[in-house]
Formats: sequence, structure tokens, C-alpha cells
Amino acid sequence: MSLRISHVGLRGVVGSGMTAAHVLDFASAFGTFLDSPGPVVIARDPRASGVMIRQGVVAALLACGRDIIDLGITSTPVVQHAIRRLNAAGGVSIGASHNASEWNALKFLGYQGSYLSTAQASELLDIYHLKKFDFVEWNRIGRLRQDDQALDAYLDELAAHFDFPALRGFRVVVDCCNGTSSLILRRMQERFGFDFILINEKLQGVQFAHEPSTNRAMVELQLAPLIRPLNAAAGFLFDVDSDRVAIATDLGEAVSEEMVLPLLADYLLPRGPGKLIITNLSTTALIEEVAARHGGKVMRVPVGRQATIDALSSHRPEQIAIAGEGTGAVMMPQFRFVYDGIASMLAVLSMMRERGRKLSEIVGEYPRYCILKGQEPLVSHRIPALLMELRERYHTGRANVEDGLRVDWPDRWFHVRVSQTEPAVRIICEQRGSPPVQLFESLSEQVRSLA
Amino acid sequence: MAREHLLKIGVSGIRGVVGEFLTPSLACAFAQAFGTYVGAGRVVVGRDTRSSGEMLQHAVTCGLLAAGCEVVDVGILPTPTIQIYVAATRARGGLAVTASHNPSEYNALKMFNAQGLFFNNYERGELIDLYHQSNFHQASNQALRGVTCDYTNPRLLHIRRVLQHVDAERIRRRRFRLALDGVNGAASVMSPGFLRDDLGCEVEAIHVDPAMPFPRVPEPRPDTLGELAALVRSRGCEAGFAHDPDGDRLAVVDDQGRVLDNDDVLALVVDAALQRLPGDVVVNLTTSSVIDDVAASHGRKVYRTPVGEANVVEMMQAVHAAIGGEGSNGGIILPAVHLCRDSYTGMAFLLDRMSETGKSVSELASRLPVYHRKLGKVTYEHGKLGTLMQALEESFPGAGLDRSDGLKLTLDGAWIHVRASNTEPLLRLAAEARSPERVEALYGRVLKLLEG
Repeated sequence: MSLRISHVGLRGVVGSGMTAAHVLDFASAFGTFLDSPGPVVIARDPRASGVMIRQGVVAALLACGRDIIDLGITSTPVVQHAIRRLNAAGGVSIGASHNASEWNALKFLGYQGSYLSTAQASELLDIYHLKKFDFVEWNRIGRLRQDDQALDAYLDELAAHFDFPALRGFRVVVDCCNGTSSLILRRMQERFGFDFILINEKLQGVQFAHEPSTNRAMVELQLAPLIRPLNAAAGFLFDVDSDRVAIATDLGEAVSEEMVLPLLADYLLPRGPGKLIITNLSTTALIEEVAARHGGKVMRVPVGRQATIDALSSHRPEQIAIAGEGTGAVMMPQFRFVYDGIASMLAVLSMMRERGRKLSEIVGEYPRYCILKGQEPLVSHRIPALLMELRERYHTGRANVEDGLRVDWPDRWFHVRVSQTEPAVRIICEQRGSPPVQLFESLSEQVRSLA
Repeated sequence: MAREHLLKIGVSGIRGVVGEFLTPSLACAFAQAFGTYVGAGRVVVGRDTRSSGEMLQHAVTCGLLAAGCEVVDVGILPTPTIQIYVAATRARGGLAVTASHNPSEYNALKMFNAQGLFFNNYERGELIDLYHQSNFHQASNQALRGVTCDYTNPRLLHIRRVLQHVDAERIRRRRFRLALDGVNGAASVMSPGFLRDDLGCEVEAIHVDPAMPFPRVPEPRPDTLGELAALVRSRGCEAGFAHDPDGDRLAVVDDQGRVLDNDDVLALVVDAALQRLPGDVVVNLTTSSVIDDVAASHGRKVYRTPVGEANVVEMMQAVHAAIGGEGSNGGIILPAVHLCRDSYTGMAFLLDRMSETGKSVSELASRLPVYHRKLGKVTYEHGKLGTLMQALEESFPGAGLDRSDGLKLTLDGAWIHVRASNTEPLLRLAAEARSPERVEALYGRVLKLLEG
């Protein structure tokens, strides 16, 4: 499936799925949707198709009468920060994040840099489908200008939250995956003297050094083997738009992507007033253990950014300790609930600094959870029967049917659900202590035979 | 009826009122059709100074990139400068975002082929079919190209070409004192420098700020150039030049502060060009007979075509003309520079003729045979056009007939031309004769006939 138009926005393989016409219409819908006054902030990631898409987004927003502030190539969190700083009406981040280079997407951001709620996203989709756009008259068309202060202003905010002079002593290896993190980290080196060693730091439009996913396999590929020879304290891998992060320890071990959220929860729970952790049904059960240590509570929501955002908006910010998912995407209340890989990295370093311990020691102290992830082809009309069948078969566990089927036992769980991004059924099993190989295999077999 | 001309998509491209009618999506799709038609390669994009220009240039660039083209952004420039640059850099084609002389609320796309010329009728037909079929080339991430900018070479190329055909040193020595009205259009970025630095003139310039709106009706006509004429008189200038927003048309004010008839400006430049270049002359049917007299004085022939730059250019190519143009709209086309309307050629040739002869504009113009013209328009009911034209033909028995664009009746020492507008349900009416009385009489007779 090479085109996807949903609550998350517009996403597709450029050319075969996502075309200039889609971009113009979707950006025109966004220009029509925005009701607060002020300019719109835009930026893109380094994908070659971003040049074309940016032109279309600019044309559509100018035609809707919006002034545009263009940040050039930068990360989504920087766009979100600039929206707040410039008191903009919203923003558009052009980039396909962790998808392969031939993909691209439009991410729409609202007032204060927030993600759109489901209600807002539905309205935007309706406007897109209606194709009745509010274009202004010739003499009210917007103007385009650049802003080169955005990155420094963003870093100023990070510097106010984290003890940069203390953190810059850590030697850190970073795999930028040819994405926007290299621009941010290089500037941090220049301005604050961080000891970063960057790999895959050249921005690339067509071919990334490797698949831009923040998972353990990608950390093992190039980053982890460099840690010990370079005598580094930690390694970090970012996706192309720098909202997700994955970790390697000082010993050169690739840490499971599932660990980022529990690690940061462990760091943030004792610090803030918030006690609630919001995460999805597919994320590691370690988070419950970590929460229990600090008297915190975990709220599980369906998979996908939208459910997390809606859950966040039904709480007061000070109630929440952290939100995120097992993909390395984490939001902290300190940063107004923006998925921000760079801030996540700084929080990990701060944790190392405050505890005076090596990352491998910190990570090694958690009980071992083993997660297995797989997928099977989708046959949509058989999904309800499949889920019913599985529920009966695994009736000994506690079932949750908010998003497919999740079944929990005291030391293990599984989650079977339909992917929102691919035509596939995803199967995830986790067990405390050892890999749940048998459960995973029989589940995969059952899904294969039933679906 | 009111909305019929607010958006027009047809063989001459896309033009309309920006906002509700001419949308960025339409411009993007049209550009993608264009990019698909000319093929993946370099395409030059420039624009005039309209407030919608930046927006539409982005939409057009998006469409071209999506079709796999590489876009060369030349920024705000006169249309002829863009056309010359397309040809000189061997690009696949070019797009100018401009509605030429139309009011501010309009915009349009002018499309050029690899030679920097308007497409011929067959090419235009293919392009519009491609647009309607929506089966555009969709480049993948790997095949997508980017945007490069060239803001300096286009104007240098254009000016160099124009100066090759005049004695620039002789013009500079005269240190002409000129007035200029750039209508805050695309020519504002080029004409002051051209006249001052390249031709050594002293220039009193008004409306040469591309960031400002058009200060007058953008079409440079006698009734719209009062400010320039007053400037010429108050500052004692030897001539005044006025542009339209995309700098392809030229209007001239003489040293007495009178706005010359555009047909006479064309005649003066034709006269200057035929002094030094071999070949015949091509003009449209509505252009004054003064051109025939000037051409005859050089022993050259005049070819007539339907109204429209593309028609004139096509004929000029076919007969290897020395010069051509369209009197009524101030278009001067000199193939030695480029086969396009070019106000810079017009200015340079006029100044060259003045410096060569030592005569003022008014003196040069006074030597032209005198014709009197009257132009106008009248609405008509759909379905009545044939009857009207037939009645017209019958009421002038014995007149020479040309039906290639409406109806042109050639009488002894006079002519009448009636044609339907391409954009509005209007008949455009032109009459010319040797005396004002006769032209009034002819015009009145035709008008009565058409209205009755």
C-alpha cells in the first residue's frame, strides 16, 4: 500500500502513491482548517522528494492567506518548538520519519506545536475530501520568509532543562542515519562543546546508510560495534526526523527499543509531580514494574500516536510523568509532550550523570523481559473470527480488546492486532526472564491458519 | 456571463482570477502536464511581480518537479528575458507566471518550448489533451530533481543580444535624458540598469519597485500613461518608455509629452530594423497600414496573420521575416534577438535611430504617413455572429476580404476589422482611414450594423 490518508495525515511512496496533487489538496485543506491567526511554520527532512513537496505546501498555504516561516531542513521537534516561540497558528513537517527513503509524509501540527486531536484530524480529513478550500483573494495572499533562529532557540530550551556543562563530558557516538539529527548535534558541538562522534551524518535525499528504524537490529548494524573502540559512554541512533531514539550501552550492547520508555520513566517518575505513564498495548510490561517502584500508574491505549494524544488531552499535564511507545518515541511533560529523540538522549545522559553509573550498569539492573515481534499477511474479513478464536483459546489470561486482542498472564502477555500502516496482522509476545518462543510460534501458526 | 472569463483553460494555457478560480492545484497540475509533455530535463521558471506570483511559482515548481523536471528559478524577470534564457541554455522549456497586461487579480502561465517560443497550435492541442487526461509522469524519490537558481545570467544574456544589433557606443555618447514607467512590473528589475548602465542614459524612473502593486491600468496605452507623459514634460525628457507588467510590450511618449500610437512605435522600429536587416515584415490583421508604407519604402513585403503573438511568430518563422509585431498591443518582435515580443529591442532600436539621425521622437514620428484609427468593442448574442458578419460583408460590396480572423474588409485607403474575442462574448472592432472624418464614418456605420 503506497498511499495512506488518515488521521495521522498524508503518507505514501512518492510518485507511485503520493503525488503533487495530493500534497496541494492536503495542504490546502490544512490552510482552510486552521482557524487561529498567525503564520504557519514549515520544514522538511532531507528526502529528495521533500523539495517538490515543500513547493506544493508553500503554494497551498500562501493561497490560503497564511504567511509561511520556512525552517529549511530540520527535525519535527524543532518545528514544534518554533510554532510555540513564533506564536504560529500551526505547522507542517514534511518527512517520513522512520519510513524508507522513497516514502514521504505531511505531519500537521496545531497551535503551540501540538499534534492534532482525533476530532481535529477528522475535520481536516473532511475538508480534504470535500475539496472546498478557502483560498483568499489576490491581495491577501501570504508571504514566505526564512527563519534561521529556530535551531538555536530550540537548543536554548533544552539547555535550560538539562545541565549541558555536566553532560558534555560524555563521549557519545551517534548514528544520524543521514537525517536531521546531524544538524542539531553538530550545532550542539559548536555551541556547547559536546563530545559527539557522528556517523552517517551527511544528509541524504535518496539513499540512507540503512533502514531508518530505531530498533535493536539497526543499533547493532553500525553503531554498537563502534562504542568500545571509541571508548564512548553511550551510543544513540535517531530516525530521520529525530523524534525517535534507540540506545547502545558503553559495552557496545544494543538495547531493545522497548527499553527507552521504562528507562526514562524510571528517571522522570521521582522528579515530577506526575505519576501517570501513558503507553500503548504493544509496549513492554517492564513499564508496569518501573511504575510500581515509584508509585506510578500505567495507562494502556491502542497502538498509534492518535490514541496517545487523545489520552494525554484527557489529563492535566501535571498528572503525567511520561508518554510513549516501545519504538523509541517518548514524550516528556517538560517538553510539552512532543516526541523528541534529542531530549530523550539528554534525559538518558542526565540519568547516567546523576546516578554516577555506567549505562550498561543502569540497563543491567532491570529484570529481563524478552519480546518477540512478528507479522502475518492480512485477510481483513477473517479478523473478527480470528480474534474471537484466540480469545477462547487463551481464556486463562486477562483479555483486553481495545485494539485487537491483548491477553495478560502474571509474567507474560501477547498482543495480536491489525497494523495501521501495512496490510498485516502484528503479533507481539513478551515474557519475564526468557523468550516466549513457544507462545510466539503457536500464535503465529494460529494467525496464519485462521486469517 | 460574468464568470466566463474568470478562469480559462484552453489551448493558450491557463489564466484566471487568483483565489476562487485560478487555484494552486490547477497551476500545479497544468505544470505537471507541461513537465510530462516536454520531458524530464531542465525547465526555466520565472514570473512577473503580481502578489500571487510567489504562490503560483511554488505551485508550478511543485508540478514540474513531480514530473521529474529540474527547475531553474530565474525569479522576477521580463517574459522575453525568460524566453531568451530558455533557448540559450538549451532547457526543455520554460514557464512564465504572468498575466501580462491583465489586471492585478489575474494570473496566468505562459509556456515556452525548448526554443523559448510559444507552442504552435498542434503542440498546444497535445498539451491540453495531456492535461485533461491527467496521466502525468510521476517521478519517484530517486528520479526527483531539485531547484537551481540563476538570477544574474538571464538579464546579461538578453541585454547582450539586444546590444549586438545597435550601436550602443553611439547611443551612450548622446546621453539621452529619458523617463521610465515600469508599472512596478518585471521590467522594473531590469530597465533602469539597462538604460543607465548599458545605454548611458539619464533616467527619471517611476514605478520601478517590484514589491509594490501596479499603480495604473497595467496595459500601457495613451489613456493610462498620463503620469509618464507629465514627467516627460516637467523634466524635459527626450522620450518616455512604459512597460506592461511582464515587460514584453512597449509604449513610448515623445519629447512633447504625447503618447505615441503603438502602431507608430512599431512603424519606427520596423523602419530602423529594415535599415540594417534583410527580410520581410509580419504583423496581425489589426495593425495599421503605416507598416505597409514603411515596408514599401524599403522594398519589403508585409504578411498579415490572425491576432496573437503565436500566430505572428509562426508566420515570421515561415517567411524568415526581418521583424514583426502587433501594433495594437505594443509588441515588437525581432528574430535576430529572439522570436518574441521584446520591449528592450524596441527601446534600443528607437534610441539607436534617434542617435543615428539626430532627430527627436516627435520628428521621427511626424515623418510617418498619417492614419487615423478607432478601436472599440461591442457585445453580441451567441448564435448571431454569422448573421452579423454576413451583413457586414454585404454592406461593403467590392471590399477586399480576409476571413482568417473574423472579418477584415479592405477598402480604398481604409480598412475595417471585426473579430470575436477569445475570452469574452465581445466583438472587437477596428477601423482605419486617412482622415478622422472617414474613420468616424466607417466606425459608426459598422457599429450601427453590429448593434442593430
